[in-house]
Amino acid sequence: MTVAGEIDLKGLCRIDMMTNNSQTPLWELRGVSKQFPGVQALDDVSMSIIEGEVHALVGENGSGKSTLVKCLAGVHQAEKGQLLYKGEVVELPHPIVAREHGVATIYQEFSLVPTLTVAENIFLGRQLRRSGLGGIDWKEMQRQTAEITDQLSIAIDPAVIIRDLSVAEQQLIEIVKAISADSTLLIMDEPTAALGLSETQRLHELIRQLADQGKAILYVSHRLDEVFQIADHISVLKDGRQVGDQPIETLEPKDVIKMIVGFDIAQHYPKEENATDEIRLEVKNISTETGVRDVSFEVRKGEVFGLGGMVGSKRTEIALGLFGFHRLTEGEVWLDGEKVEFSSPLDAIQGGIGLVPENRKADGLFFNFEAPQNITSSRLNGLMKGMFLSLSEEYRVGKEYVGKLNITPTAMEKSVQYLSGGNQQKVVIARWLYSQAKMLIFDEPTQGIDIGAKVEVYQVINELTANGISVLLISSDYPELLAMSDRIAIIRDGQILQISPAKELSEYQLMSITSGAD
Amino acid sequence: MNIFGRFFRSMIAGPLAALLLVIVIVSLTTDRFLTTENLINVSLQVSTVAIAAIGSTLVILTGGIDLSPGSAVALVSCVLAILVKEMGFTLPAGIIATLILGVGLGLFNGLLSTYGRIPSFVVTLATLGAFRGLAFLITEGHPIFSVSPHLEGIFYGDVVGIPLPFIYMLVFYVFSAIFLRNTRRGRAIYSVGGNETAAYLSGIHVNRTRLLAFVFAGFTAAIAGVLLSARLNSGSPNYGVGLELAAIAAAVIGGTSLTGGYGNIVATLFGALTVAVVQNGLNLNAVPAAWQNITLGFIILLAVGLDMWRGDIGKGFSHVFASESKLD
Repeated sequence: MTVAGEIDLKGLCRIDMMTNNSQTPLWELRGVSKQFPGVQALDDVSMSIIEGEVHALVGENGSGKSTLVKCLAGVHQAEKGQLLYKGEVVELPHPIVAREHGVATIYQEFSLVPTLTVAENIFLGRQLRRSGLGGIDWKEMQRQTAEITDQLSIAIDPAVIIRDLSVAEQQLIEIVKAISADSTLLIMDEPTAALGLSETQRLHELIRQLADQGKAILYVSHRLDEVFQIADHISVLKDGRQVGDQPIETLEPKDVIKMIVGFDIAQHYPKEENATDEIRLEVKNISTETGVRDVSFEVRKGEVFGLGGMVGSKRTEIALGLFGFHRLTEGEVWLDGEKVEFSSPLDAIQGGIGLVPENRKADGLFFNFEAPQNITSSRLNGLMKGMFLSLSEEYRVGKEYVGKLNITPTAMEKSVQYLSGGNQQKVVIARWLYSQAKMLIFDEPTQGIDIGAKVEVYQVINELTANGISVLLISSDYPELLAMSDRIAIIRDGQILQISPAKELSEYQLMSITSGAD
Repeated sequence: MNIFGRFFRSMIAGPLAALLLVIVIVSLTTDRFLTTENLINVSLQVSTVAIAAIGSTLVILTGGIDLSPGSAVALVSCVLAILVKEMGFTLPAGIIATLILGVGLGLFNGLLSTYGRIPSFVVTLATLGAFRGLAFLITEGHPIFSVSPHLEGIFYGDVVGIPLPFIYMLVFYVFSAIFLRNTRRGRAIYSVGGNETAAYLSGIHVNRTRLLAFVFAGFTAAIAGVLLSARLNSGSPNYGVGLELAAIAAAVIGGTSLTGGYGNIVATLFGALTVAVVQNGLNLNAVPAAWQNITLGFIILLAVGLDMWRGDIGKGFSHVFASESKLD
């Protein structure tokens, strides 16, 4: 098979691979499929990862990127399809086996021990022994560490303790760790999420250097601007399927965005237009210590105000600042025409604001309670008969909301930990309905729940707005955000880039602005 | 789900079953157990620990732990003795003063464990030593005898034959049960222990709730201290050694989870009674004292084990009954 037109070295290698000549890919996936209860995470995915190449993996939340990474890392095992290492079929039943095949994964949450030194971390689990008495050879470990760091021009002393390093430096150490274990494939998951501009630059130089040395890099990222800077090849996943697999030179950012966004199966979003002209919430130039910078916007009664942005854009931090969980270092918040200062969630709740948190299991639910107690938790005053809580009233309230929101009846008798994600989320939402909030903040409300429950959540949102309640909707699901919001603020790095009516935005535009590709 | 399944899964079933079981076993080993005189003895024996166990349960429910009740008892008994015998306080005034002291001790533990952000294990480990040390300090190491002619009456009196300490215990338990089940603060204790973040995001004052639990614990330790002083009409820095472990054991046997959020005060009472009945049984059978600790250890393991496995036991029962009905 020959190719007319421009031929470059990288292209030749790939063509050679396709004609089964000298170079087989380091790793190959053939028809890999992986299913979880209710979700087809990967659907017949095939791709090749070549030595010396930076291969980018892009796609929305839920597209299957992290499942694919975990299959290569030995955390998950595919039901169908094959994994080939240097042309031979292998199985990776355990991360250790993956490591033995030279796979090193650098996740967003680092796997370093903060209280040990750099060298100790590099050699964690495989400390070098001195001959004879067999004690640990600290000197040799330090020397080998220094060798790698020098080679990669990383100026970090092997004797420094990890927690004294910056996040960017820790990440570099993770990479050094992978190198010293003679890894041949480095998988990096959102490597620049916590890095600044110059640190990202440094990382990219390092990655280039590693690729030139013959390592294969799988670079998983949302940020298309970076992908186009550093990658040689790109694979795009959507809903578990591969929709793109080509050298980066053949593409432009807008092509990739089209692949990511794709043609949506028409999902029915039952949006009602209930926004009035009266202003409920005015946010004026707020900043927080958690990264929110000079944010201003207004929300009207009955309006759904969407916050769109990528992971790390600080949308949740804006919500937490409004809810009194984080302190506002600057700016003012006005609610229904009066200035408010919320120094705790209790203040916010008394002011009429509610929050459906992003992580319902960790932050929203009481596993030691059933549904009724979970629902009444933020307005126990409503249950008072004289000095005491009326448990029978609580039971009645529980039944009322379980019925209203179509929550499974077993929630009345069993701990909420046994409920499905959709039912759990509805319990949390019921809490804020019962608390008679004037404004509800929804942080990723339909994450991890089935389509039936999603539609029910949308209907709840409609009912809220029909009653004049305002909704602040944070969602990484762009079709959902666009369909259910009246207006959307596009957020990046803690700042609002623009506010537009949802009707005037397209998914393509959202993706393009938030990923920095324009 | 049939009634037997649900019964097994309720919080009281396990500890009640354990209590009934040991009562049966002990009654079988000696006919002196089920006598009025002995049962009165047992109820006197259990009251001090049971009351202290209320405070311990509350603290554990919020996700903390209190290791200081035993030492608080010692300190309270010494302060009471000194106030009444050596400083001329009337008995009622002395008792009120020591109850206030108990609240103060609880406040000390609580403030450091909440706003002070020191883990409660560490704080109460320190006060375990410090409170008793204070008791030794103020008494110069000697017990103080014959505190007051009226003091013993608080312990040895009775109402229609029921010993007073038993009545105190019941009153405190009823009050605590209502508090935990039917008040906002009581609900807050379960919420904070169950999920601190969710509690905070529901508008609950997490620190205040934890602090309240510690204050309660200090108060119940003071009550236990007064009762113990009344029983012996003396105060001593050596009183109450090991009380905290007995109180925690009662809570744990009663199904209280050490991670917080799960527990039932009535079940704690059953736990305390279980321990008391077993100890009484061992005494009546002239078993050497050394065995008491070993038995206590085994009871804790068994009780918690039953707790862990009760879900499976419940399922097993429902299988048996379900298959029986198929035979009809």
